[in-house]
Amino acid sequence: MFEPPIQRLIDELARLPGIGRKSAQRLAFHLLTVEEEDARRLSRAILEMREQVRLCRRCFNVTDSDECSICRDLRRDATLVCVVERPQDIVVVERSREFRGRYHVLGGAVSPIEGIGPERLRFRELVERVRTEGITEVIIATNPSVEGDATALYLAKVLKPEGVKVTRLASGLPVGGDLDYADELTLGRALVGRQEM
Amino acid sequence: MALRNDQGIVLRSYPFGEADRVVVLLSPSHGKIRAVAKGVRKTTSRFGGRLEPFTQVDLVLYEGRGLGIITQVSVIEAFPHLRGDLERLLAAGTMAEVIDAVTEEGEGSARAFLLLHRGLHALEAGPRHPDLMTAFLLKVADVVGVAPALDECAGCGTREGVTRFSFAAGGALCPRCRTPAAVALRAGLTAYLARLAAADLSDLPPPDPSFSGEAMGVTRRFLEYHLDRRLESLASADV
Ligand SMILES: [Zn+2]
Ligand SMILES: [Zn+2]
Repeated sequence: MFEPPIQRLIDELARLPGIGRKSAQRLAFHLLTVEEEDARRLSRAILEMREQVRLCRRCFNVTDSDECSICRDLRRDATLVCVVERPQDIVVVERSREFRGRYHVLGGAVSPIEGIGPERLRFRELVERVRTEGITEVIIATNPSVEGDATALYLAKVLKPEGVKVTRLASGLPVGGDLDYADELTLGRALVGRQEM
Repeated sequence: MALRNDQGIVLRSYPFGEADRVVVLLSPSHGKIRAVAKGVRKTTSRFGGRLEPFTQVDLVLYEGRGLGIITQVSVIEAFPHLRGDLERLLAAGTMAEVIDAVTEEGEGSARAFLLLHRGLHALEAGPRHPDLMTAFLLKVADVVGVAPALDECAGCGTREGVTRFSFAAGGALCPRCRTPAAVALRAGLTAYLARLAAADLSDLPPPDPSFSGEAMGVTRRFLEYHLDRRLESLASADV
């Protein structure tokens, strides 16, 4: 146990993901040695982020206004929607520079093992968007995991009756890798998703 | 500090640190194993999809202090088809959740392992039989030693007039042994359950839609009562 003000900070830091007790202690003692203005800037940045960032009312991306910059961008194709699990996944898809449509953030994934069902995710909001925004294709970009698979299968089930095209990101061999190292599941999917040349 | 070989079926995994996962497997001889798969969340991981849930694998584990570390994995069976169908995927999730709930670390679990293996096989083979989950849960009850009495009275063993059912008393009851909490079940339901409990998971008797729903309900509540926990994945499995 340290002096209460130090211990309080260590406890808070240790609640962050990926930070153990030891790292929390190291960070707390580091913050004790920095300039006071640096410490203030850090605490302000945390508070301002919390005050200013909210969720886009259309796609649930993070934004500092009513709609996110992607939804506001008129050059983007509003008939295409890419569905992701979390807001940070949008950044990843954007980096590919291959997608010019809009997004929809589900807020997580269905878990067949822990029993997290679709009622906790933004499925209804997506169906509503398909009905009102003239969307013609929904691209599912959930993780290629059991949870991502279950989420994609659920989405396909609820979206098919809406008459919209539903696709999912292909999964297969990592670029730059050797075929020797591919596992059975990945190689199987790469085969199923093969393309004519 | 030693290297050790084992095999198991992956039940689940959870993120650990920056790019790692803790993988929870069921080994027939060592029970539940928790071990770290380093870097498995990166798309370039050499483990690839080998440590995905429901995969049966051969492992090399490095065991020191704390959690073991997985150093090599090879796939024995990947069950790829059950992941392409929502009903089968949810059923596999329930099987993994239940088996996770009834097994311990460091305790051999050959019967639970075999049961899960047979369950996944049945799911992989084709469309889900409506009674597969019920039969699976009845067999889980047997593995943990709480198999319900179905075609005879749990109190006295008579086969006459066993029309009541009690979770606490361990299954079907005759009029003499019935407790106040025992409920009346529809005629034929306990016989239906008895057939499922005895059947091979890959060769179940033809389903009777008039019994399937109730059979599942009674079995689920019976098992939840004896495990003293809710089976979360079953709540969301009603697609
Ligand atoms: Zn938006
Ligand atoms: Zn009796």
